[in-house]
Amino acid sequence: MDELLQEFISETQETLEALAGEVVAWEADPADRDRLDAIFRFFHTVKGSCGFLNLPRFERLSHAAEDVLAEIRADRRSADPATVSAVLGIMDRIAELAEAVSLGTALPHENDDYLIAALSEKEEDEAVLPEAESAPVAVARQQGNGQAAPRTIRLPLSLIDQLMNGVSDMVLARNELSRKLRERTGDPELESAFERLSTCVADMRDAISKTRMQRVDRLFTAIPRMVRDLGRELGKRIDLLLEGGDVEMDREMVEMVVDPLTHIVRNSIDHGIETPEKRRALGKSEAGRLKLEARQSGNQIVIEISDDGQGIDTGRLVGKAIAAGRLTPESAARMSEAEKLDLIFHPGLSTADQVTAISGRGVGMDVVRANVERIGGVISLDNRPGRGLTIMLRVPLTLTIIPGLIVRAGGLHFAIPRAAVVEILHDNNETLHIAEVGGAKIATIRSIRHSMIDLEDVLGMEKPAQTGPRAVMVVRSATGVPFAMGVSAVDNHEELVIRPASPLVMATGVYAGMTLPDNGKPMLLLDAAGLANAARLPNILDDRAAREAEEAVDVQGVEMVPALRFEEYSGERRLLKLSLIERVEDVDAHLFGRSGGRAYVRLDDRLVPVANGHHSFVGEKVAALRLRDGTRDVCYPVAAVLDIVDMPAVPDMIAMHGTLSGVVVIDGEHLEVVNPFALFAALPDEPIREKGRGRCLLADSEDGWTREILAPLLRQAGHEVVLGLPADAPVDPQDVVLFSGADLSQASELLGCRVVHLRASPRPSSPQDGSIYRYDQDALMAALAGSRG
Amino acid sequence: MNKLYLLALLAGTRVAIETSEVEAVVKLTDISPVPGMGAHVAGLSALRSRVLTVIDVAALIRGEPTPPDRRGFAVIADIAGHSYGLMVDAVYDICQVSEGELPLRGQLDPAWLPHARGLVEHEGQPHLLVSLAGFIEAGALAHVA
Repeated sequence: MDELLQEFISETQETLEALAGEVVAWEADPADRDRLDAIFRFFHTVKGSCGFLNLPRFERLSHAAEDVLAEIRADRRSADPATVSAVLGIMDRIAELAEAVSLGTALPHENDDYLIAALSEKEEDEAVLPEAESAPVAVARQQGNGQAAPRTIRLPLSLIDQLMNGVSDMVLARNELSRKLRERTGDPELESAFERLSTCVADMRDAISKTRMQRVDRLFTAIPRMVRDLGRELGKRIDLLLEGGDVEMDREMVEMVVDPLTHIVRNSIDHGIETPEKRRALGKSEAGRLKLEARQSGNQIVIEISDDGQGIDTGRLVGKAIAAGRLTPESAARMSEAEKLDLIFHPGLSTADQVTAISGRGVGMDVVRANVERIGGVISLDNRPGRGLTIMLRVPLTLTIIPGLIVRAGGLHFAIPRAAVVEILHDNNETLHIAEVGGAKIATIRSIRHSMIDLEDVLGMEKPAQTGPRAVMVVRSATGVPFAMGVSAVDNHEELVIRPASPLVMATGVYAGMTLPDNGKPMLLLDAAGLANAARLPNILDDRAAREAEEAVDVQGVEMVPALRFEEYSGERRLLKLSLIERVEDVDAHLFGRSGGRAYVRLDDRLVPVANGHHSFVGEKVAALRLRDGTRDVCYPVAAVLDIVDMPAVPDMIAMHGTLSGVVVIDGEHLEVVNPFALFAALPDEPIREKGRGRCLLADSEDGWTREILAPLLRQAGHEVVLGLPADAPVDPQDVVLFSGADLSQASELLGCRVVHLRASPRPSSPQDGSIYRYDQDALMAALAGSRG
Repeated sequence: MNKLYLLALLAGTRVAIETSEVEAVVKLTDISPVPGMGAHVAGLSALRSRVLTVIDVAALIRGEPTPPDRRGFAVIADIAGHSYGLMVDAVYDICQVSEGELPLRGQLDPAWLPHARGLVEHEGQPHLLVSLAGFIEAGALAHVA
């Protein structure tokens, strides 16, 4: 009996969850028979089962709802909002009762009569309700709601976990067996049998890990109901669009994302989407659009929540921050738009003017971000003031597999999440300077000072003597300021299967979990924030203020801009404004070439001009700066990239000549500054085209002979072949147009390039006929070559 | 009276553990230390695909860690969803005891006081009745302290 009851409760709870969305969708489209039937069936099933299980309150509630729905089915009643609300009310009460039964607590003694009365009551109000309100939420789902659900069975989670463990054991046993087999002489028969076993085990592991996955639909089930209720409460109309519900993610991950997602949706309805009147006044459609979209991108799930509401008013956000004393008006004036937007994640700041029941209850975007980051996710905003806001959550596919770095310290190995590591340096790097004062270590990396700790010190280990340089990693936790951490070495980068460590170990606060790599030696996962806490690092947020103050001093003096210091092949040291440099990369030396007196380099299948004319190099790789003026690329090969320094925006001595604009003195060294204006002005006007690579344009692209015989022939001969004339792109003078029909002979003259006319008969039709017989390969090739002149 | 007890030697003292708490007894192999923990957490050890947190019970009681070369057996227990291995010096027997659980007698060493729940007599020898979960709790407290 107990088992039956338990089954009934969990089934009811699950159906309820799925059904809430259905009811809302049905309200939007009362003519939708399938949905009405589904809801009716639910109440009918509940009524039937609880009569059997002797649950009178369930029975009464579901009976009342069933009656009303039956009337609607018989078209004796319409599904107006009040009825839907009443039905939803009954569903809520059934959920509460189910919860109470499953916990074995007393059933809440609230008045069911009231709810049941609400069902029949609204007939009088019906006429009063304005027509427009009848469908506050329209729900559209991209993927098949109408399809029959796949057949499923119910399994206890513990069984699945047991299966997972079993498979993990199997994998380890297989690994051991494989080691043992390798030690012995190879017997092909044995090996192939083992191979088969391996494949089976791997397949099994894949299949089992899928049981952890759950469709994102589950995340979305509660949304339509919530949107409907909020919309009604706030008098807003919302078109809800749910997409990508069939994307799968880790069961635990779904649990972790529910809260942040709910909060964002609430915010969007409360603060984002305007009232219908306001929207009308703004020239928007009355119903606001709210779109939730999930998709998989690599090993991440991206959940996008976008609305077409008013967006975030950064001005007001800044005003609030200033009023709250978190920001000075001066520093606010220097903030970029993105930095201003970032204020939304500061605790206690909200653009809501007043606290409403829906959001702004002190649980702000700061909590949302903290929650998302705790599971290794990232949250980003795309604010379109007045037009809407898109919030993007990127969360890992599963909680348990994360990319991690394996570091060595004190003779032991530790893992650290890859996401927490900003950069890794060796302690003999020139850009790194480590100073010690009063026991505290300070690492200065490119003139930013970080607190520095050695992992061995924090964990109370011996630091073994080491011959090579130690590694210093800049570590940033989800909260708090980045710090530098010294370790013996960074060994490896791996996808790690993380499992929780026992509470005893977690209590240290410096570990976030553990992992069992293939070598069978358990390894601990470090918690960046915990390490900072354990080392009692100053976690001062006014680091930013200090930086701003520093910048302010600079601004009052000479305006400084960051610049890259590099060495030319000629040996001079020069500077180039950093903002112009798109990136620095190593280019294969053989990609450089020279043509028509100009040096070029072949990058990503494009020819890019080389700024300083170098084209032949010793060695395989050339360090090159990639510059861009917005439209054109330039490559600037250099002998060595030295470092990044601050240089005055105006050189100390102006000396315009060639591509130089002047000289500055930095650290007592005279450096020439490259003039980007002159650099780009000296470029050839036209993009470089490779010689001898005119295209063959085949006008008769529909013709079978052209397509199947001519095109392959030309391609084999090394020509670039384009089927059909380019629709609107200009034809290059080096291109050749080939055609066989006569109709094109005039048009082709307009193209301004050479034309080759092919004919099907071996003999020319007239002495004036300049065409070539189409199987006369020599003449054809000669014509193509000739046209290249 | 029909409860089974695991009789073992722990920090030089004869103890009895209810078998309902015990999952298995294994010989300890590699233990990866957990730096930053007190001596009572010997480290982590892999048992097939499971990772055990190995507790040096002797260190918990006497305050002195067991030297690595004297690490013998571990009693495996699943406590609050995590797997632990509790180090013992030796394991003797699993048996029923005729008289069942007896109240404590005599002046107990203060180090044992928080852990002993009673006495169990087997073949004329008294054994301290201890609880594995109790050691884990004590371990958590030891860290806080």
